[in-house]
Amino acid sequence: MDARAPRRIVVGEADFDAPALQEALRAACAARAGAVAAFTGYVRDFAPGEPTSTLYLEHYPGMCERELAEIGDTALGRWDAAGYVIAHRYGALDLGERIVFVAVAAAHRGDAFRACEYIMDALKTRAPFWKRETLQDGRSFWVEARQSDFDRARQWEPDPPPSTENDNG
Amino acid sequence: MANGATIELLYFARIAELVGKRGESLPLAGPVSGGELLAQLESRYPGLAPASRLKLAVNQYHRPSSVTIRPGDEVAVFEPVTGG
Repeated sequence: MDARAPRRIVVGEADFDAPALQEALRAACAARAGAVAAFTGYVRDFAPGEPTSTLYLEHYPGMCERELAEIGDTALGRWDAAGYVIAHRYGALDLGERIVFVAVAAAHRGDAFRACEYIMDALKTRAPFWKRETLQDGRSFWVEARQSDFDRARQWEPDPPPSTENDNG
Repeated sequence: MANGATIELLYFARIAELVGKRGESLPLAGPVSGGELLAQLESRYPGLAPASRLKLAVNQYHRPSSVTIRPGDEVAVFEPVTGG
């Protein structure tokens, strides 16, 4: 990984300007960025048929930033990517608001797509955020982690270890 | 960790609700495994029973229950993360 590669982590309560973050990444990577792949995640209904009213995201300050940077740096080391930006919000969010944004710049689209997808998949199972959903009728609950997210993250492991320990604490 | 003989426990999300606090200092004379610590917490806080899966981070790194926890460590206890 190029030590001068543009790497940026934004963890905050306020909304972030995704297009500006993407453009800043592209500009910082200058001529090396033949491609920029970006992903934006928004608040949606989590329980089908039960309209979400608001979402609250709790986070672990410090570990969030560290974990996200480690995920991004792993992506830069694994693919031929020139730089990344990862933004994630916490606090109270309304339906349709941005939660997360990832952009990766690379010389070619394949590396940009794969690194961006890897970062999102790793983030879902590693970045210490927890969603609490409140429905329109006032009921409230912590969102359960989904097996499909773990399965997706596991697909990126270069050499899946035998499941001698299921690591559930 | 004034004398180094404690660990700083942090609780997040549902675990903080079940335990009724966001964190505490716990006296720790010597090294203990993550699994032993979790068992200790579960007997101390019977309310933890509904927790699906307790996960650990030690000094802000995800660690399996086989991890060795030492006095002075910051230990976070939480359920699987749900960000993104």
